[in-house]
Amino acid sequence: MINYLIRRSAQMLVVLFLSAVASYALLSAAPGGPLQGLLQQTQSSTRKIDKEDIARIRAQFELDLYFSVRFTRWLAGVPRGPLSIGGRELLGGVVVGCRIPVEAVVRSGGEETLQTVGCEQLVSMRDLAGRRTSRGIILGDFGNSWAILRDRPVSELLWSRLPRTLQLQIAATLISLLIGVPLGLYSAVRQYSRFDYVVTTSSFIGSSMPTFFFGLILILVFSILFKRAGWAYLPPGDAAGVRAYTMPLLGRVEAQSLLDQALRMIMPVTVLVLVSVAGWSRYLRSSMLEVLRQDYVRTARSKGVRERFVIVRHAMRNALIPFITIVVFALPGAFGGAVITETVFNWPGMGRLFVDALGRNDYPVTMAILLISAALTVAATLLSDVLYTVVDPRIRVS
Amino acid sequence: MPTTAQTLPGLQSEAMPVEQGQLRLVAQRFGRHRLAVVSSALLVIIFLLAFAVRLLVPYDATEIEVGNSFAAPFSVSAKDGRMHYLGTDHLGRDYWSRILYAARISLTVAVVSVIGSTAVGAVVGAVSGYYGGVLDDILMRFVEFLLTIPTLPILLILSSILMQSPKAVPVPNFIINGLSGYMYISALEARQVVMIMLVLMSLGWLGIARLTRGVVLSLKTMNFVEAARAAGVSNTRIILRHMIPNAFAPLVVSASLGLADYVISEAALSFLGFGIQDPTPTWGNMLSFTESYMFEHPWLPLIPGLPIFVCALAFNYVGDGLRDALDPRLKL
Repeated sequence: MINYLIRRSAQMLVVLFLSAVASYALLSAAPGGPLQGLLQQTQSSTRKIDKEDIARIRAQFELDLYFSVRFTRWLAGVPRGPLSIGGRELLGGVVVGCRIPVEAVVRSGGEETLQTVGCEQLVSMRDLAGRRTSRGIILGDFGNSWAILRDRPVSELLWSRLPRTLQLQIAATLISLLIGVPLGLYSAVRQYSRFDYVVTTSSFIGSSMPTFFFGLILILVFSILFKRAGWAYLPPGDAAGVRAYTMPLLGRVEAQSLLDQALRMIMPVTVLVLVSVAGWSRYLRSSMLEVLRQDYVRTARSKGVRERFVIVRHAMRNALIPFITIVVFALPGAFGGAVITETVFNWPGMGRLFVDALGRNDYPVTMAILLISAALTVAATLLSDVLYTVVDPRIRVS
Repeated sequence: MPTTAQTLPGLQSEAMPVEQGQLRLVAQRFGRHRLAVVSSALLVIIFLLAFAVRLLVPYDATEIEVGNSFAAPFSVSAKDGRMHYLGTDHLGRDYWSRILYAARISLTVAVVSVIGSTAVGAVVGAVSGYYGGVLDDILMRFVEFLLTIPTLPILLILSSILMQSPKAVPVPNFIINGLSGYMYISALEARQVVMIMLVLMSLGWLGIARLTRGVVLSLKTMNFVEAARAAGVSNTRIILRHMIPNAFAPLVVSASLGLADYVISEAALSFLGFGIQDPTPTWGNMLSFTESYMFEHPWLPLIPGLPIFVCALAFNYVGDGLRDALDPRLKL
C-alpha cells in the first residue's frame, strides 16, 4: 500500500507538472496580454508612448524574458539573478531575454505581418537581480493579478472568493446526497414501479437540461413572475444584498441578514442539486439493481431475513461502495465552483472569477484557478482509488 | 443503463426468421422505444426547418428594423406588413428568422464536431488497442492526462484564445467559403464557427478513443481477426474493415449522445461570451442577450432556450433508443 501510494503520488506530480507546462504555454501564446490593450489605448490618445515605456511595461509583466526563463521564474521563482558563490558572481552575463526587440514588416505569401527580426538591447542575468520575483507557484505564489485586482496578489483574490463558492457547493452537495441517495436506492428496490418510472424519466430530463437555461427559468418564475403576482419572491442574483427590501409574507428583509443570504442561495443551490441528483440517482439505481441480483441477497431472502433488513443491511451497504468514488469528485468542484451557475446568478465565487479573468485576459488568475482545480481533480482520483480499497476489502491495489 | 423503466426489448427477436436482416431487427426494436421515435421525428422536423430556412423566414438573420425592438409575437411590422412570428429582439431583429438561421449554425456545429471527434477517437483508439505496446502506453497516458484537466475551463480558454485570433489556425479557403455560403454568414464569421468546432473536437475525441480501444482489445482475441491475419490481410485493412465496423454500435450510440452534449456545450460557450459572437446567430448567444432584458420581457429566454433544451433531450432519447436497439447490454 505504501509503495502504491508513493508511486501514484509521483505520477500525480508528473501529471501536474505537464499540465502546468501545457497551460502556461497555451496562455503565453494567447493574444491580448496587458501590452496589447495598452497599445490600443495609447494609440488613440494624444500622447504617443515611446520605446522606453513599452520596454518598462514589458519588464513589468516579464514579457521581455525568453519563454523558458519566464516559465521557471513563474514555476519556482528561479533564476533570481546571477549566482554568487564565495563572493564571486557567476553567470552574470548570460542572456535571458530581449528588452527592446526590433520589429519589421515581413511579406510572405502576399500577406504582410509584423515580426520580430532582431534585438536592440538584451536582458542579462544581472538585470534580473533588482526585479520583484514571485516565489513560484510551487510555493503557492501565483504572482499578481493583471486586471481584476491590478497589482494585488492572486492569492488575495482567491481567498476573497473561496468562501462564497464553498458555501454554495457544500450546501448543494449535502442536499444532493440527502435527495439523490434515497431516490436512486428506492427506485431500484421498486424497479418498474410508477415511482421508478417517474424518477428515471425526470433524472433523464434533468441531465439533458442545460444549467444556464434552468437557471434562467428559475429566475423567470421565482424572481420575476412571483414578484409580479405580488407573492414572496427570491432575489435573482448576488450572494448578499446592498440595501434592505420588503416583500409580502416575509416583510422587511435587511441587507446582508441571514434571511437575505438564505433567500439568495435557494436558486443557485437548486440548479446544482438538480445536476447532481440526476447523475447520482441514475448511478445508484443501476448499482443497487446489480447488487440486488447477487446470490448473497437471494440467500439472505431465502433464509427468511426480513425484506427491510435485506435491503438495508445486505444490499444498500454494498451498493453505496462504488458511489463513494463518485462523491469524491465533488472536491475539485468545491474549489473551482460552478462556472455557469455562478455566472447566471451573479454569484461572487471562483467560477465567475474564472470567467471574468478570462474575459479580461487576466492570465495569472485564470492559471491559478485552472491549476488548483487540476491538482484537486488529480488528488480526488487518487483519493477515490484509495477509498475504494478501504471500503471494499475484495479490491487490492497492485 | 436503460433510462426508462420499460422492459428491455429484443427478447422476442430471436424467434424471428433469420432472413429479416439485422437492420430491420434494429429498426423494430428502436420502434418499440416510443419516446425515441417521437424524438427522431421531432429532430427530422427541426433539421428540415433549418435546411429550408430561406423559404420559411420573412427576414434576414441580421436585418434590423429600427424602432421596433421587443415587438410582441405575431405582431405585424408597421413598415412593410411582414409578420414577426416570435417578436423581435433588443435591436429589432426578427426572432423567428434568427432562431432558424441559428438552428442551421448550432446543429451543423454539433454534427460536424461529433463526426470529427468520432473519426479521430475511433482511429486513435483502434490503433492504440490493436498495436498495443509502447504506442498504446503513450497514447493512453496522453488521453488520461487530458481527461484529468477540468473540461469546461479548458474549453473556455481555448475558445477565448481562438475567438480573439481566429486566424491562428490555418483553415483551407474552400471550407471557409463553403460554410459561409451554407450558413449565410461572412467569411470571418465562418472562421469563428470553424474555430468553435475545433474547440469542441479538441477534447471530444478522448472518450471515444477509450471506448474504441476497449472494444478493439476484446475483438483482438477473436478467431476471425486471427484468421484475417493468417490470410495475410494488412494491419490497416484489419483495423478499417474488421475493428472499427465491429465497434459501430457503441460508436453510434455515443455519437448521438455526443450531439446532445455538443449542442449544450456550444450554447454554453456562446452564453458565457466565449463562443460564436453576435451578430452571428446561435441559440447560445441569443440566450445570453435575453438575460439582460428578462426583467422587462420575462418570456424572452424561452425563445432561444427551448430549442437548446428540446434538441438536447431529443438527441439523448434517440441515443437511448439506439442503445436499446443495437445492444441493450451496452453501458454508456
